[in-house]
Amino acid sequence: MGHAATQQAGSGGLTATEHRLDNGLRLVLSEDHLTPVAAVCLWYDVGSRQEVEGHTGLAHLFEHLMFQGSAQVKGNGHFELVQGAGGSLNGSTSFERTNYYETMPAHQLELALWLEADRMGSLLAALDEESMENQRDVVKNERRQRYDNVPYGTAFERMTALAYPEGHPYHHTPIGSMADLDAVTLDDARAFFRANYAPNNAVLAVVGDIDPEQTLRWVEKYFGSIPSHDGKVPPRDGTLPDVIGAELRVEIQEEVPARALMAGYRMPRDGTRECDAAEVALTVLGDGMSSRLYNRLVRRDRTAISAGFGLLRLAGAPSLGWLDVKASGDAGIPQIGAAVDEELARLGAQAPAAEEMERAQALLERGWLDQLSTAAGRADALCRYAVLFGDPQLAFTAIDRVLDISAEEVRAIAAARLRPDNRAVLVYDQVTSEEPADPAAGPAGAAGENDKPEGTGR
Amino acid sequence: MTDVTMNFHPQPVSGSPKPWAFPAPERGGLGNGLTVLRCHRPGQQVVAVEICLDMPLDVEPDGLDGIATVMVDALSEGTGQRTAEEFAAELERCGATLDADTDYLGARVSLEVPASRLARALELLAEALHTPAFSGSEIGRLVRNRLDEIPLELANPGRRAAKQLSQELFPASARMSRPRKGTEDTVARIDAAGVRALYRAHVRPATATAVIVGDLTGVDLDAVLAGTLGGWAGDAAEPLPTPPVTADDCARVVIVDRPGAVQTQLLIGRIGPDRHDPAWPALVLGTYCLGGTLTSRLDRVLREEKGYTYGVRAFEQVLRSPDPHAANGATGASVLAISGSVDTASTGPALDDLRTVLRTLAAEGLTEAERDTAVQNLVGVAPLKYERAASVAGTLADQVEQHLADDYQAQLYVRLTETDTAEATAAVISGFQEKRLVTILVGDAAQIKAPVEALGIGGVEVVAG
Repeated sequence: MGHAATQQAGSGGLTATEHRLDNGLRLVLSEDHLTPVAAVCLWYDVGSRQEVEGHTGLAHLFEHLMFQGSAQVKGNGHFELVQGAGGSLNGSTSFERTNYYETMPAHQLELALWLEADRMGSLLAALDEESMENQRDVVKNERRQRYDNVPYGTAFERMTALAYPEGHPYHHTPIGSMADLDAVTLDDARAFFRANYAPNNAVLAVVGDIDPEQTLRWVEKYFGSIPSHDGKVPPRDGTLPDVIGAELRVEIQEEVPARALMAGYRMPRDGTRECDAAEVALTVLGDGMSSRLYNRLVRRDRTAISAGFGLLRLAGAPSLGWLDVKASGDAGIPQIGAAVDEELARLGAQAPAAEEMERAQALLERGWLDQLSTAAGRADALCRYAVLFGDPQLAFTAIDRVLDISAEEVRAIAAARLRPDNRAVLVYDQVTSEEPADPAAGPAGAAGENDKPEGTGR
Repeated sequence: MTDVTMNFHPQPVSGSPKPWAFPAPERGGLGNGLTVLRCHRPGQQVVAVEICLDMPLDVEPDGLDGIATVMVDALSEGTGQRTAEEFAAELERCGATLDADTDYLGARVSLEVPASRLARALELLAEALHTPAFSGSEIGRLVRNRLDEIPLELANPGRRAAKQLSQELFPASARMSRPRKGTEDTVARIDAAGVRALYRAHVRPATATAVIVGDLTGVDLDAVLAGTLGGWAGDAAEPLPTPPVTADDCARVVIVDRPGAVQTQLLIGRIGPDRHDPAWPALVLGTYCLGGTLTSRLDRVLREEKGYTYGVRAFEQVLRSPDPHAANGATGASVLAISGSVDTASTGPALDDLRTVLRTLAAEGLTEAERDTAVQNLVGVAPLKYERAASVAGTLADQVEQHLADDYQAQLYVRLTETDTAEATAAVISGFQEKRLVTILVGDAAQIKAPVEALGIGGVEVVAG
């Protein structure tokens, strides 16, 4: 495509090699020596979609327990050792995977590998009631802080509950419900570990200022003896019809600072050309300060404070196109909704102009360059394509596929999917503080739960 | 149970550290008086540009808090050559983002763009700085937007707590007692004439600095700058006066009432020094030991032992940092604070434990091991922290804004390694004295007031949420 900002838009000149240990652990190595940093990223192929009713939040709570010590690592030793070595670390849980990552000064790489191997192989030697009870409370406070005690905090949870039907693996979000978090037992956690935390259910990426041969030897040494295990329960099928068929709508009366219109559109699965087309379409419509919806609602109609449209890519179920509009002043939701519908219909009727395609694709390419700008970002991309699509090399060509989408494909996907009968709608209306807020209001969250709040200040 | 079946190996010993230093920028200037700091970072394809404007919020006219924010936001909302929509679209066709921000220290316009499109994006940036349209219609829209945003921001308990702490610490006459982006009353008074006047008074190349960081391979930056920011014209200006700072950080409690809140947001703070203070490295070290991470003293108890919180952090934030060589000898200021949220029922016990942590620290000091770990982390993470061009540019711009030398950050790492346990202990004890901490609690007063009063911290006042 003519819009690429760089000669090698996709890879930025990067390459990766792949290896597989006898126990099934997949390893991806990518070497560059621009800065003395090595990123370790470990994705386990398990997420909240594996949870069943009554056990929501287990994958994420378990992620916290992974930081509570293992056979050779005492208590908070994982955090202490990595930070004491000048590294940074965290973990997160989403619908489709759980990841753990350390970015280390290059000369401390071996420590991170030793730590990850120790907990992959021996977590249960250290897991006890005390850390379980403590982290249960921490996670409940995480839920309160990020979802229950902030305006619109439960929107994402409400949205997935509406957009993915009862019983569907993506019906609930990774944070889980308070009741389920209260109910989870140590035996549940042990069973979860035995089923899912095996080398043959994981991909390890090591990226940055590394010696690939030495790194492979270390990985063999530390991870090689961990037995493989086939106890994993495969996720339930997330297949749904392409189109919902009728608009689903919930009106929420809550004490919020501004009225809001949110909608989730059922979109194609990640890994398909249609999904890439959808991402371009949503960028044309709702990303940046000159998207169609921003220009229409914020600049011209002046009915909105903000208007955005983004794509939550999902590989095991339909993706979710997420519209979020906060109303300005007294502007009414019906007026905003009508303008949104006009803009979506317009895109479905006529392919976007070359300049709009250029803008959308330049923004998407920029997002990819941002991801490439850190070793951790590169490692995460490699793990993602290895775990979800079986091929880490797809990471390097992902942006090329997005840049290859034509204006007509954008129009076609908008016509097929951005329709009123293919969306779940949340409308937030305001109540004054004298009226009771919706007592049924539950918590919700973003697609991923970070384990630790990092950073402070401004 | 036979869950442990792997072969164990002893914890590995680290290799030899590879040399890394915080990048030294090359300092220069353009004919129009603009100062330029540039820094080549191989592999960083997204170039970061920071324009520092010498426009601390003190310069806002009385009663017009927020006008500086509207002005810098309006720089990109239409120019002599392009409407607001056209300008935004042109910029985004470069894959660029442009943000503006104002602070008590100064104002910032931040551009990020792929290196291959740097020249075009700098043309647009120069256009925004030199020929902003400031049309009545766009200013009116930004004012309305800002009025809409204020309740959204204050609904966030953390933001609401920060507003209250500033109001408590500083006298009402001081700009830093009031929100950076203004209040409903002050923003409603802002118009295009006022914005234009503020621009004429304070935006000029002679008092601005451009920081440019990224992979500049194949970019003739001098030529690009000459054709872009070099064309920004303006007159000279006298240095701005720095008003003195006074603060009241006598221990007391203010509860911002949020009936029904499931958590209490804590913000416990006082006034501190700026980075020119010789004890700053010791303070950074001590503050990290107190609350820099989840293995620091506060979270070791509040999170990892008691489960009261998702995380509590201690930090310092500079509010004023005059040139120490300036004639009037004004002093700098920061806020030193502890921040986090705890579930409502645990508010009293969490505050009690927090105070015990501070008292234990004051009585026993930091351990050598704590100090060593803190140094290893703070110094060791530097190569990670500064991988991205934008991180480097942000720190260089902070140095400019705070009148620090270009090698300040590089020297800070050296000074951290030279700071001993006793110095770090003294700095953190003096920084976080119990009797000098103002406690802001955003939460359900009906549930938390009595348990907090029982702690005897000081007066407990309840204000509306």
